[in-house]
Amino acid sequence: MPSYTLTINAVKRTVSADPDTPLLWILRDTLGLTGTKYGCGKGICGTCTVHYNGNAVRSCALPITSVLEGNIVTIEGLSEKGNHSVQQAWMKLDVPQCGYCQSGQIMAAADLLSKNENPTDKDINVAMQGVLCRCGTYSRIRKAIHLAANKQNK
Amino acid sequence: MKSTLDRRTFVKLTASASGALIAGVYLQSCESEMIPAAIHEFSPLIKIDTDGWVTLIAKNPEIGQGIKTALPMIIAEELGADWDKVKVVQGDFDEAYEEQWAGGSYAIVLNWDLMRTAAAKVRHVLLQAASKKMNKKVSELSTIKGKVLHSKSGEAMPFETLLHEASKLPLPEEVEFKPTDSFEIVGKNTSQVDLQQLVTGKTKFSIDVKLPEMVYATVLKNPVFEGGVGSFDDTEARMVNGVIDIVELDNTAYGGRLLGANSPNFVNGIAVLANSTWSAFQGARKLEVVWDTSGTRKENTDGIFERFHSQLTNTTIERKDGDIHRARKAEASNFEAVYQVPFLAHIPMEPMNCTVDFRADLCEVWAPTQNPKALQEGLIKLFGLKPEQIKIHLPRIGGAFGRRYYVDYAMDTAILSKKIGKPVKLTWTREEDIQHDWYRPASVQKMVASLDESGMVTGWQHILANASRKTCLGREGRPAGTEIDEYEFPAGFVPDLQFEYGHVMSDVPLGQWRAVGLSATVFAIHSFLSELAILHNMDPIDYFLKFLGPARMVPVVGDYEFDAGRLIEVVQKVRHNSNWDIPLPKGQGRGFAATKLSGSFVAEVVTVSVDENENVTILRVDAVVDCGIVVNPSGAKAQVEGGILEGLSAALYGEVTVKNGAAEQSNFHDYRWIRMDEVPEIHVEFVANNLPPRGLGEPPLPPAAPALANAIFAASGKRIRKLPIL
Repeated sequence: MPSYTLTINAVKRTVSADPDTPLLWILRDTLGLTGTKYGCGKGICGTCTVHYNGNAVRSCALPITSVLEGNIVTIEGLSEKGNHSVQQAWMKLDVPQCGYCQSGQIMAAADLLSKNENPTDKDINVAMQGVLCRCGTYSRIRKAIHLAANKQNK
Repeated sequence: MKSTLDRRTFVKLTASASGALIAGVYLQSCESEMIPAAIHEFSPLIKIDTDGWVTLIAKNPEIGQGIKTALPMIIAEELGADWDKVKVVQGDFDEAYEEQWAGGSYAIVLNWDLMRTAAAKVRHVLLQAASKKMNKKVSELSTIKGKVLHSKSGEAMPFETLLHEASKLPLPEEVEFKPTDSFEIVGKNTSQVDLQQLVTGKTKFSIDVKLPEMVYATVLKNPVFEGGVGSFDDTEARMVNGVIDIVELDNTAYGGRLLGANSPNFVNGIAVLANSTWSAFQGARKLEVVWDTSGTRKENTDGIFERFHSQLTNTTIERKDGDIHRARKAEASNFEAVYQVPFLAHIPMEPMNCTVDFRADLCEVWAPTQNPKALQEGLIKLFGLKPEQIKIHLPRIGGAFGRRYYVDYAMDTAILSKKIGKPVKLTWTREEDIQHDWYRPASVQKMVASLDESGMVTGWQHILANASRKTCLGREGRPAGTEIDEYEFPAGFVPDLQFEYGHVMSDVPLGQWRAVGLSATVFAIHSFLSELAILHNMDPIDYFLKFLGPARMVPVVGDYEFDAGRLIEVVQKVRHNSNWDIPLPKGQGRGFAATKLSGSFVAEVVTVSVDENENVTILRVDAVVDCGIVVNPSGAKAQVEGGILEGLSAALYGEVTVKNGAAEQSNFHDYRWIRMDEVPEIHVEFVANNLPPRGLGEPPLPPAAPALANAIFAASGKRIRKLPIL
């Protein structure tokens, strides 16, 4: 199997994998970064969302060969001490229920706020509708994104 | 208040008569620093250490319902612990814990007295020890924030200074509970105990378990229900990088489909073992299988519903009050309507998975299960193990909704691990998850009402026909039991009343789904009641209140009575909160429904707009809930919001259709569920009272669908009698 070097959470990691292996399984099975979750394997539910070169992407649908050139950030690397404004807002509002989709939700929300420091409800709908929450934590997610935006803008 | 449950229930939980000292144990604090401390174990659930940390075992499976926080809150409250110095640890499966399952919204109902009793016994010995040390009467002492307090003098002693003496004292047989008006922890918004781990991705779900030497696996099963494996060619699959082995799973070798009542065995299939999940998935895709579908019904959705419809006239009577035929002859008019609901999948975000390390001496399991006892029984039955040879860990679970009441995926895993002699983590693909679910039963329901001249109901007939989950799951008793039973609303409210059930056999696998039978029956009941109101030009809430009659206890079955007053209160409150009596612009409408489930009362109003192209937008939902004492308002509100959104999602989109004996849906592209852009404003109010807390996971769900259908009628004049709506 060929060997690839990826930059994940600012650390270079070299792994052996088939070229079509999705990033998700490299993160989870090879590197033990299990904060990123498997939900559908088709890029539909957004549970596997990570950042690639500063954009939210679905890691279950991205072959390893497509993410060699840039920086990958997972939930484990979003902040040093779990204190990203989005994570803080999530904690303040006790957002998760089962929690399984929440890494994907937080990564999508962090991506939104990095590009739009004061999103409207409509902006939130567009950015977040790709991440499915089966428990129905959406109302708190919306509030938490507004809260994080307010904190960032202070 | 005295404990009302019999002593036998508590004997195991409080068996450790004194606080056994576990010397030299390191206690890990929330910040992950190691604190050396001597820990005294006062009960299987309660440990206190010499640094003042109280460790509480969260015994029930956490599926997102917040029980890992709520049960320890109840213990901490009764103990008088300082919540900031409480550490919560998830318990493994242990018979000593009792009632260790998630289902039917029963966790709080069954554990309220159990948790309080366990804690009150420990509080008792702490007070005794303090009484001796402080030279004060026990009756003048209380516990608060991790201390025993003598309120007259203000003198206080922290728990940690009392452990040595307290641990020598026997736990009492009987206890007094704290008065509810002195609660400091129960009733306060409390963030869930795993919160920081969850938002940093550190929580280990079952699917995240990794063991040395572990092999990854997945399964491929016959998409045709009740079908098996005919023959297969695995040449290509074995050529996939990382594939280790291919194993046929044949459940006939283990006694067939059912392990026992309510606990289906695994379904036949082919397992691919590999050195990564991805390799296993790829291997499964390369399998060339000829499926055996002999002896299966090869059903289609239309045919199934046709059989349900015909069975409406071939029924058993499940309840008979008075004589509906007498009512029908005498009354001014009769009205009937037929409603239909589909099969529903569970689609928890964490797909079915399990990890098993089946060693010679111990079968160790990490399972996302709502029902660890069934898992243990399954392992005993399949492999002849003794209970002490089985250890079941209960990692946090990524949603369940009733799916994980069944342990089929865990049986798959145990068989594979035993066969290859290594730990195995099995992960189902989303496709397998949707196509091999134990679905919420579809049904057809016919409602017939006899009405007097004022339009009020004097005769009520509710006929439900479907394939029963009870039959599918091999449970004893009447097949109607899980679909429509003698407890169904409005039993007790109408003099001439009859419930009937038409039983149909089907291959479609069926099981519990959040709110069980009420997820279907409340849709029919409350759609019908609103239809009756509108037929007589009455406001649906006015009509319902008149239907309920005065606040009173209504006898239903045996000693079981329905508290009409508590239902009336939530209805009146939701009427007010939703601005029900203020007219809406054209194209908008409000709908109402209510229910009682697991001892809790819920009333909901849904507000929608419907445009000229019949596009429905849900604008707002109001819910008022009376579940008695609200243990954790933060978690409780989340359950109400989640239950409402689940009810709305199912009503709008949820549907599994069957073609040639197989589910037609396979992933989230064709099994649609509500997303961020469709979520309405949700307003929730809890009725404040001091009644014992009751269930909350399920009660908010059933009213959502009929309230939505009734709102669509109010906005557009279009009556929805068949779900899903879109």
